[in-house]
Amino acid sequence: MAENDLAKRTLTLKKKFDAPIDLVWEAWTQPEHVSQWWGPKGMAIQVVEHNFKVGGRWKYVMPMPDGKEFISEGVYSEIVELKKIVTSANFRPMTEGVEIRALFEQDGEKTDFTFSVVHATEEYCKQQEQMGFYNGLGSAFKRFEELLVTLNKK
Amino acid sequence: METRRDVFQAISDPTRREIIDLLAQQPMNLNAIAKHFEITRPAISNHIRILNECGIIVIEQVGRERFCKIQPDHLRQVSDWIGKYEELWIQKIDSFEMYLYQLKSKRKKHGGK
Repeated sequence: MAENDLAKRTLTLKKKFDAPIDLVWEAWTQPEHVSQWWGPKGMAIQVVEHNFKVGGRWKYVMPMPDGKEFISEGVYSEIVELKKIVTSANFRPMTEGVEIRALFEQDGEKTDFTFSVVHATEEYCKQQEQMGFYNGLGSAFKRFEELLVTLNKK
Repeated sequence: METRRDVFQAISDPTRREIIDLLAQQPMNLNAIAKHFEITRPAISNHIRILNECGIIVIEQVGRERFCKIQPDHLRQVSDWIGKYEELWIQKIDSFEMYLYQLKSKRKKHGGK
């Protein structure tokens, strides 16, 4: 798969955290911490499985107000201590067959963090493509947005 | 046909996206639209019908001409949808950051690890 194509399927967020890398790593990887931040504000989640090793499975469950459950789960495919975590991920019901990459880089007492969601499956790609969704806002969409602005001014 | 029509279907086809682009500049009749494409008039006509059923364009009869006009409000659904998806991840990372800083100050108070 061409790198250019990969970029099209990827949503990337970058941040610099004002915290040392070992703390960032701990907060990101330890289940007692994950349960505190993974859910949306005020929503408790349950860490059902958390097998933090390559090939290990994770599963978080969040009860929804309508009584259903929102499930996040996946299998770790790469773990490099204090550097990198790659995992497959399904979010049901929402998005399935994505890959999540979290990169950590020390910058003194701070940490550079790069988070990517790669839409991996062909089907999902197609779905996203149909929606013109490339890297958050596709070129088609940028045009649409501009059009919307122009049209609304008329 | 029982196909559900929505804005996402409307933009799922490159020709339809081009038609939307064209019509965004000005309303046009079918002939004028067809001139921009190399595909047959019935094919264009079919795309116009789908766009119409999806609520993206309206067709107005002006004298003997039928003009296609865009309905921008329906396209907004698309940008809203995408905004939400991205927003979800931004929120998650923000939520992590907030928790991280809480953890950091807690550790400091208790004199390190």
